[in-house]
Amino acid sequence: MDRSHEKQNPAFYAVIALLVMMSVGPVILMFVNSFKLDVDIISGTSGLIFMPTIQNYETALCDILWYEPDHIDFCSLKFGGAFVNSLIIALISTVLTLVIGSMAAYALVRFRFFGRDTASITTLMVRMVPPAVLLVPVFGLWNNEFCFDRDGLIGGAIRDAFGGRGDVCLAGTHSGIILIYVAMNLPFVIWILQSFIVQVPRSLEEAARVDGAGPFQVFFKVILPLIKPGLAAAAIFTFRIAWNEYLLASALSDRNTKTVPILIVNNMSEFNVEWGVIMATGMLLAIPPIIFTLLASRQIITGMTAGAVKG
Amino acid sequence: MPEIRLEGLVKRYGAVQVLHGIDLEMADNEFTVLVGPSGCGKSTTLRMIAGLEDVSEGEIYIDGRPVSHLEPKERDLARVFQDYALYPHMNVAMNISFALRLAKRPKAEIDQKVRQVAEMVGLTEFLDRKPGALSGGQRQRVAMARALAKDSGIFLFDEPLSNLDAKLRGQMRAELAMMSQSVEKNMIYVTHDQIEAMTLADRIVVMHGGYIQQQGTPEDLFKRPANKFVAGFLGMPPMNFLNCDVETRGTETFVTGAGFDLKLQGEAAQKAQSHNAKELTLGVRPSDLAFSQNARPETALTLDVRVSEYVGAQSVLLCECGGASVTVEVNSETPMALGETLVFEVNPARVHLFDRKSEAAL
Repeated sequence: MDRSHEKQNPAFYAVIALLVMMSVGPVILMFVNSFKLDVDIISGTSGLIFMPTIQNYETALCDILWYEPDHIDFCSLKFGGAFVNSLIIALISTVLTLVIGSMAAYALVRFRFFGRDTASITTLMVRMVPPAVLLVPVFGLWNNEFCFDRDGLIGGAIRDAFGGRGDVCLAGTHSGIILIYVAMNLPFVIWILQSFIVQVPRSLEEAARVDGAGPFQVFFKVILPLIKPGLAAAAIFTFRIAWNEYLLASALSDRNTKTVPILIVNNMSEFNVEWGVIMATGMLLAIPPIIFTLLASRQIITGMTAGAVKG
Repeated sequence: MPEIRLEGLVKRYGAVQVLHGIDLEMADNEFTVLVGPSGCGKSTTLRMIAGLEDVSEGEIYIDGRPVSHLEPKERDLARVFQDYALYPHMNVAMNISFALRLAKRPKAEIDQKVRQVAEMVGLTEFLDRKPGALSGGQRQRVAMARALAKDSGIFLFDEPLSNLDAKLRGQMRAELAMMSQSVEKNMIYVTHDQIEAMTLADRIVVMHGGYIQQQGTPEDLFKRPANKFVAGFLGMPPMNFLNCDVETRGTETFVTGAGFDLKLQGEAAQKAQSHNAKELTLGVRPSDLAFSQNARPETALTLDVRVSEYVGAQSVLLCECGGASVTVEVNSETPMALGETLVFEVNPARVHLFDRKSEAAL
């Protein structure tokens, strides 16, 4: 029976329309409002009829624009800096997570060692701990334990090079945030990559070994290319979490290392909520993950191992 | 080319012992076939030689050098896998040159080698294709080419033809036989197919239950099987086995059973007489029985024909003889009807006798 010619129930389309509205609606709202002045947004009367302005984008991007917009006297929003912070943190934590995760997954799948099953299950259980639970202990550790004494050799050297007054701690550094993101995302990445590595026929590894490949060559030249779809899926997942994360970043970053999500919230004060700027920054925030997802999803091709072995 | 020697090779998986002390020597330039039913330990032996499986006990020597603790890449061997194991993300040329690229050989040399090997197995037009875009036979050739390109002295085959269809298998078998003559390598070939073993081998090693049953040239094994297992394993259709008792009448020795009373001649008679157990198993190959209505009783086997399988010039008759089933190969022109009781003449020089308990040949 040819299903495409079947008459569909109108309710079916109604449900689809509803779902599309629910997912796309907020994005459209954000897009439209990012081109409105705050007065227009708050008045609520204008709807779709308004005078579009790029003023909000000018405010958001004031620190990287080559000209000084007329409507602002002082550029308080450092979007450029926060954007770079977000990129550094999201990209490095993604790369680290993938490298460590793929190796760990390979070991868990292929090597027999004492406690393998326990290790495998524990990684997944770590995933179930909510980030909020981690927040307080991690904040304490990052601020008090993982520090170089400011009078010590390394701490002194870092302080001389980068300035600052107190001890040099993990808190407030890119590394501090990257570290916690890697730890947070690893369990899921290990778990998802395990299922991809299991599908790589063992005889391929054996063939590579007979052909003269060492353990690392087997891993990088045979296994990794074959689990590319898994790596891409894991990368999209990791990057998006690292890019969007708010809670931990808000506690662990300082003025110079804050990421875009935190910058956005800075536009809210008890006196004023700058909706237009928030919407504009939100639009800008959405662009990198979209590009990243489009690039990475091209790697998700099914049937990577086709032709390797006979059914 | 290197000589390989296995000494008391033992393999255990936990408490289960799958190989019980394999001793084997493979000479220069020899095509050795390990053959046996599934689970007889032949593939395990090959994997141990390749270094893909740990040796529990014993030692493997390649050119007198103990290798059982070396990685596969340090053993200088090439291997064709049963499931081909081609790298799916590389095209044919990359697959073939993988080992050479790992060894960091100069590019010109790699290119030349790839072209030479591809020509040898007839893959020249497919060098840019990925394995996924090739047919089963072509993949098999890539696997072969990849092993050939390595230029190592030892060539291991793990049931390389078992995934091909019957026609292609025959063709590849012939090509393999041709190749084995033209390349000077020490080849070890594992198969469960006795036809492959018979046609390809310089030497056959029959394995069963983790033991070597017998080794020798195909002719040797076919004509003088060491035990009932080897006798039944080699040859198609397989040898017939009938329980019989030895009787001495005067100077002559007879073996008797339901439907036959055969007089033994020469060596067989002597062996049967000097053997202390009188309960034996008689083995007769289907091709050593001839339809002959007026055969003398001391060379005759009386059979009830049950089924006739027409396979062209020959027909295979499935018959019954005193409760045991017997197959006979006859010319298809032989006039006969199913259900008939017929007399066949046994070639007395070609009967095999086995001890019924130990199953060893007399």
